[in-house]
Amino acid sequence: MASNDAHNLVEPGINLNAPTCPNREQRAHGINVYYGQASQLLIDAREGKLQAKDRDFQQTSGCALNFYLAVRLNTIRDAAVIYHAPVGCSASSLGYRELYRHVPVSLGRPENYDLHWITTNIQENDVVYGAGNKLRYAIREAERRYSPKAIFILTSCTSGVIGEDIEGAVNELQPYIDARIVPVHCEGVRSRLVQTGYDAFWHGVLKYLVKKPEKKQKDLVNVASMLSYTWQDRLEIKRILGKIGLRPNFVPEFASVDQFEQLSEAAVTAPLCPTYTDYLSKGLEQEYGVPYFLYPSPMGIRNTDEWLRKIGEFTGKESEVELVIEEEHKVWQPKIDALREQFLKLKGKGEKLTVLGSLGQGRLLAQLPFFDEIGLSSPAAMSQDFDNLILDEVEQLIGTVGDFKILVNTFQAAEQAHVTRQLDPDIALTCPFQGCSFKREKGLTRIHSLRADAHPRSTQSGYAGAVACASFLLQSWTSKSFQKTMLAKTRDSYKDWWYKQPDPLHYLKREV
Amino acid sequence: MTSNNSEASVISEPKYPEVMEAPRYSCALGGAISTALGIFGTVPILHSGAGCGQAHLNGQAYGCGENAGGPQGGTSTPCSCLVEEHVIFGGENKLRNLIQSSIELMDGDLYAVISGCVPALTGDDVESVVKEFKEKANIISIKTAGFIGNSYKGYELFFLSTIDQLLKPLPVKKGRINIFGVVPYQHLFWKGDLKVLKGTLQRLGIEANIILREFNGLANLLEIPAAELNVVLSPWNGHEIAKSLQEKFGTSYLTFPGVPVGPKQTSNFLLQLAGRLNIPEEKVQEIIEEEERIAYRFIEYLGDVHILGLPHPYFAVVADSGTAIGVTQFLANEMGYLPETVIITDNPPQEARAEIIHQLSVNIESIFKPDIIFESDSHKIRLKLRDRSFLVLLASSLEKFIAADLGATVHLSVSFPSFDRLILERSYAGFGGGLNLMEDILSKTVAPL
Repeated sequence: MASNDAHNLVEPGINLNAPTCPNREQRAHGINVYYGQASQLLIDAREGKLQAKDRDFQQTSGCALNFYLAVRLNTIRDAAVIYHAPVGCSASSLGYRELYRHVPVSLGRPENYDLHWITTNIQENDVVYGAGNKLRYAIREAERRYSPKAIFILTSCTSGVIGEDIEGAVNELQPYIDARIVPVHCEGVRSRLVQTGYDAFWHGVLKYLVKKPEKKQKDLVNVASMLSYTWQDRLEIKRILGKIGLRPNFVPEFASVDQFEQLSEAAVTAPLCPTYTDYLSKGLEQEYGVPYFLYPSPMGIRNTDEWLRKIGEFTGKESEVELVIEEEHKVWQPKIDALREQFLKLKGKGEKLTVLGSLGQGRLLAQLPFFDEIGLSSPAAMSQDFDNLILDEVEQLIGTVGDFKILVNTFQAAEQAHVTRQLDPDIALTCPFQGCSFKREKGLTRIHSLRADAHPRSTQSGYAGAVACASFLLQSWTSKSFQKTMLAKTRDSYKDWWYKQPDPLHYLKREV
Repeated sequence: MTSNNSEASVISEPKYPEVMEAPRYSCALGGAISTALGIFGTVPILHSGAGCGQAHLNGQAYGCGENAGGPQGGTSTPCSCLVEEHVIFGGENKLRNLIQSSIELMDGDLYAVISGCVPALTGDDVESVVKEFKEKANIISIKTAGFIGNSYKGYELFFLSTIDQLLKPLPVKKGRINIFGVVPYQHLFWKGDLKVLKGTLQRLGIEANIILREFNGLANLLEIPAAELNVVLSPWNGHEIAKSLQEKFGTSYLTFPGVPVGPKQTSNFLLQLAGRLNIPEEKVQEIIEEEERIAYRFIEYLGDVHILGLPHPYFAVVADSGTAIGVTQFLANEMGYLPETVIITDNPPQEARAEIIHQLSVNIESIFKPDIIFESDSHKIRLKLRDRSFLVLLASSLEKFIAADLGATVHLSVSFPSFDRLILERSYAGFGGGLNLMEDILSKTVAPL
């Protein structure tokens, strides 16, 4: 079996002397377009055949800055974010004062905190004469206004193309600024893959923010959780880890700066989403010897068991973990069994409902086994991206749930609408913004909740999450009136011929 | 630049007022996408980085009353998704293929190629590429690098490009007007307000081309030159459009300081408009009398919660200039509210500010005149709201969770961004608009009397 760490598949090591990470394309042969059997994708990847091909038709899908970073970095509680960009690049951040405020204080949300970001608001004359002094002014202004512990600088296409010297400004100003300045190179044009934005962020965190460990905290578990993991997911993980005497260190969203500084002191870095956590995990091991694992994520009963066992290994809590697993199974397994039974009854004759999810590659690995566990079948899946970081895990996944079709695409709404229509699953799980693919005859619901949703029904992690998510999916099956009405009464975004031809990648440039 | 000691560089540090916390608009590209999506039947085609449309969805669309992108917005919007190789070798070919495929795949009466920062910096000849498709489809090109201005600028550029590239002279239809100055996804109530105004004007025999939110979007655009008069509902935004139409088609224009809110402003608007269109004043007065009678009869229903619950409160407004004027005048001139502070957030040009100040001082009937502050920086706005006595804060949802600390008992989002309410056809425009506004304000505070 080829290993993910083979040099030709994944670039080894992390170079913190460089101003930023390599793009996912270089680091792990990342792609954002593929359609075929997962087993074939695996063969192609191992033979080095994956290529970032162009399409003649593409839809706006997010960039290194404006998929994730622009929406979430501003939630770091005692930091300030500077967008070195024209004014529109930070529009996604306008909800910053409201995110997490809806979480009741009784559920552990701090009562008082302020979040801050500013834009350098690059203008036409800055493009001509440079905006370096403006950036310096913005850094000083952030310090004066907010006295933050860290200042993140997020770059943009414009700051990149006009050749702004970000490191120069940072090195020059840092001696006079109390806050740690963390440049993040997330120019939209740098990469085809939004995941490069994660790596670029973690690169800045590892290079500038994480401190040398003062002491090792044997009960601390680093957990990098992203926007698709809700407040209840955090509570569930905290609950289970608490039972075995461990504490989660949730970064980056809604964390405080000292939680980043302490990342080096943890006993282990555990994943929620491997593709998101990869660069951080490897960097922490390389620089500070913090061990990590990337698979599985705590989604579904079996995955959660294994996730806990891995953590148990790294923290010397193997026996405690086994006790907790046993205890939890007594509570949750009967509920999962009951839900599974209900799912299996829906079609009858032993036939399973089919489900099609639009997932990140992390969710792909975590959620397909979960669907299997609750009696759903996933003959196909959509994945935002795919890279060589997860080859062994995909192989394992195929072993568990069988081969499946995979469409790799980053929010390409037309392709997703096509595949959803073509495969016609019983339940389609959609992101909130996938154009017309929600209009259909059969089941439909969201793939996950976003933001600071604090309702228990939105939980997906751990044991409580497995039950909540299964019952949520079952609930989605009980009414189809919304999607059916919209299908009947509104027009589709695409012409009929699109659905009549067989290929969702009709516009792929194959000759590249 | 060498690094001096910190004291010296602080003293010599130039000021950059445009470096701001959370300004309440997106960029020119954002405004152009908004306008294209507002004109139904238009397919926007972005020539930009892949994240620009996402930012429009997350910021401009969700921020405008949590609206989805719809069939051509959000991640459905075609985009050339430019990366480094296009910066080096140019993106014209990528754009050419994208326009071709967009026309094939997506039904559109009009295709609007909206280009952003990257092609502006690399010098792509977008217009030449767009020209190649003139025979195949109705297509226009709008150059909206994000660094040339904000959403309001993008709205104007959309129409200025339309005028240049699409519109032809038409015979003038009597009694027909166009309405400008209401920026979709920026003015929260654009869908509802335009519908209400169109209906109200119909009663006077005026045919209002509201351009936006109607299925015949392209026909609406093409008929712009047939208007007898252009009407701009903003003290500054959209004036350039009216001037351009006057130059090109000789259409005169009338500006009004904002969307009229409630009976008094609406009556005033109708009288001015009728004057310009030579509609007999008696006819207008007759309609005003009918409409006012019903509007004020319904205001009687709120009398008790108004007078017992929250009579004559000091209030503050944080909004774009048009919304600020409409809301402040209604509350001050009809409901007895006391305007304490008005913060104008849309950065109007200097030459428009005297008129805005006039509207918010001379045209306010109370003895009490508000402090009028022009500020787009959300941090400074927050500081300037401190140590005041307002109970009602009509602002954006940025102020939602700081309102209580500022001493307000009521916060209502009336301006962009508003992530805390779903706005579909809600409207504060016209004779009945004041009722809706009072319903929304007082619903935040009513309890058993």
